[in-house]
Amino acid sequence: MLRFILVRLAIVLPTLLGMSFVAFAIVALAPGDPVMMELRAMGIVPTPEDILALKAEYGLDKPFFLRYLDWLGRALRFDFGTSVATGRSVMSEIAIHLPATLALAVSSMIGAVTVSLALGILAVAAGPVGGAGIRGLTILLVSVPSFWLALLFIYVFVLRLGWARLVGNGSLSDLVLPALTLSLGAGAALGRVVFERVRAEMSEDHVRLAIAKGLGPTQILLGHIAPRVIGPLATAWANTFGALLGGAVIVESIFGWPGLGQLVLQAIAQRDFPVIQAYLVFMGLIFFATSLFADIVVILADPQLRRRLSDA
Amino acid sequence: MTPFTLAARLAAAALIAAPMALAPAHAETSLVIAVKRDRYSVDEQKFTFSVLNPATQIVETAVKPDDSFLPIPVLFQSWDYADGTYVVDLREGVTFSDGTPFDADSAIASLRLYDQSKSDFLQIDQQSFEKLGDHRISFRSEIGSALVIENMTHRATSLFGPSDNRAENPIGTGPYLFESYEPKQHITVVRNPDYWGEAPSVDRLTFRFIDDDNARLLALQNGEIDVIGEVTPQMLLSMPQDGSVVLHESRPIRYVALLSNIHGEAPFNILQDRQVREALAWAIDRETLAKVLYAGRSIPAKGVLPGWMFNLGDDHTDGFGHDPARAGALLDAAGWTMGGDGIREKDGRKLSLRLIAAYPHVSTVKPMPEMLEQMFAAVGIEIDLVEVDDSGVYASTYLDTGQADLFLEFASNNNTDPTYLLYNIFSTNTVWGGYKFIAPGPHVDALLNEARQAQTRDEVIANVRAAHRAIVQDDLVAIPILLVPNFTLSRPGIEVPMSEYADWIDFGNVTVSH
Repeated sequence: MLRFILVRLAIVLPTLLGMSFVAFAIVALAPGDPVMMELRAMGIVPTPEDILALKAEYGLDKPFFLRYLDWLGRALRFDFGTSVATGRSVMSEIAIHLPATLALAVSSMIGAVTVSLALGILAVAAGPVGGAGIRGLTILLVSVPSFWLALLFIYVFVLRLGWARLVGNGSLSDLVLPALTLSLGAGAALGRVVFERVRAEMSEDHVRLAIAKGLGPTQILLGHIAPRVIGPLATAWANTFGALLGGAVIVESIFGWPGLGQLVLQAIAQRDFPVIQAYLVFMGLIFFATSLFADIVVILADPQLRRRLSDA
Repeated sequence: MTPFTLAARLAAAALIAAPMALAPAHAETSLVIAVKRDRYSVDEQKFTFSVLNPATQIVETAVKPDDSFLPIPVLFQSWDYADGTYVVDLREGVTFSDGTPFDADSAIASLRLYDQSKSDFLQIDQQSFEKLGDHRISFRSEIGSALVIENMTHRATSLFGPSDNRAENPIGTGPYLFESYEPKQHITVVRNPDYWGEAPSVDRLTFRFIDDDNARLLALQNGEIDVIGEVTPQMLLSMPQDGSVVLHESRPIRYVALLSNIHGEAPFNILQDRQVREALAWAIDRETLAKVLYAGRSIPAKGVLPGWMFNLGDDHTDGFGHDPARAGALLDAAGWTMGGDGIREKDGRKLSLRLIAAYPHVSTVKPMPEMLEQMFAAVGIEIDLVEVDDSGVYASTYLDTGQADLFLEFASNNNTDPTYLLYNIFSTNTVWGGYKFIAPGPHVDALLNEARQAQTRDEVIANVRAAHRAIVQDDLVAIPILLVPNFTLSRPGIEVPMSEYADWIDFGNVTVSH
């Protein structure tokens, strides 16, 4: 297993290098000059010398590849520079916002897994009419945009029922609506995976044998189907978790949740290059880590793969 | 009743009444103000060494703008300017919140901080500071400018007291003290009990940073916030009309104008002909636009600077009415004759103009671009409308390259230096790259340079008036459309003392009726 992990890490190095280049390039080559934008927004009369000094301070006066190499050298030490907009280090900015995003992603993930298992298994277990109804609900939840769902929840739970507040302070109770918004869409998408995998397994010989032996539905589900579907589901869960970490930008913005999504939205508007670049690299690392985790779970869940790895 | 019984009853009554007597004279008043972005940053090493809105309550400037945007005393009691030297009498009886007296030494130390900033737009000669008395100092401008005091009305020049960490422990002389700050969430300030001036009416101010326009409006409707300090035009369009939200407005200050590319290369060279620019100006129905946009609170513009500002007055520009016939006649005179498809032509070339909407983003002027397109079509001008929702794309892709004929802008002279806007946008010396395509040329440069070098206020204003007239009337590189107030929104029962300058809205003296 250790060898597998080391090999995976070695393989991913060129990918990460390429990703870092893309992250740097798409931000550095995007139109907009952070120094000029900030100065104009401030209503300040700068001299040309001031502007040159500021550009030099942020390394914007150097050629593109030199800037990339400088940045890469520092990024390897997790030094992504200083935010143009706030003056804090980029790592401090990420440290400030990461806990909120993690809390939202983890709670949304728990909700999504619960919803997906419930929808998937119920769709399999229900009769033709009930199953069609659940599948219809699943398609509806997958199709509804998260911002629309967020606004609907705000209208119902905040404005009409008064059960929640819109402008929270990052407390647990403020987490409910944004987490629910994200859970339903992600859970519905995962529910389709659960439905397909469970239904596929139910036609396998070992499940038919279990049914013939007179085992109950719960025993069959937990003892015969779950071990076989956990691997594919882990891969889907890992991808979903990565997407929840990086893709909650709109929901965070609507609910004012102080996470990385808010950070990067503002950074894009202000052309805060160091923050955007660090965010992109960070998200790449998250996806790599979650997919590695999923691979490990797949191996642990599959005896054949375990054996093949130990033989190798 | 025996004396003992009476005494016992009086004692019991006193015991019951004691807590009421000891209670504070008034309940604490607090106000939650929603602003769009967290711009709280007081790092002296960077150019956002600034004290935009929330922190403006903690620190104060030397002077502030009056109703005409002229500087009036705050921490500077009075000042004289002669031969490049400023002599300033400081306000006495003022202390910083850490107890340090505001005197000649601490004032010089505060002013020296600005030399550390990368945007030292005060440009004070650092070697020139002199202490002339306990509360009297003098200094010189590095560039011989008579506008240093004007520039001190900018909140970014607020005077900080000594502090090891200005971000976490900002020391100022302001009416409020720093209490707490959560990045991207809120900053809270509480009333300074030792404030030297008139005490503000609100005890505690919390500024909530809510980036999403809809969320700010919904939070106000839901009673979670009291005031919205940054109101976008889209919020005015979606504002409920049932009285649950109250609109407060200043005098008009922001302008909406079309800036003309008069130095562009083909195909963006049509507007080098002033007659075509004037035809555009007459083709615009400003009254209709004023009714449709900005909750009907804007007014047709005769310039990009309102007449009340700096006492400029309204007489130095004439403005343009809505006269499509006159626009057509001007285009005819310029050789653009009406084609069969309703688009004018000249030497086989269509009268087609690319219009970029808008700075800072198109949503600030919606639906004006489409309305302008219709108005110009009515006189035979085809518009290639490009809508951009990002000021970076607006500047880098179109303005800096001159790849358009017209640029729609929603901006303001957000500085009390009378030359600020005109010099930065309409001078060939502009540091804002692309505006060189708009600048009229040496005659306006000369007027603006004279304004910046003038040694008396009257000279400054006379030159600014002349430059302004050239820009919006004689050369007509900026076609004025509307002047728009600064807005705030509140729940009912709140009166906001508005200012045209958003950073000078005095939230500490908001009136709240319960």
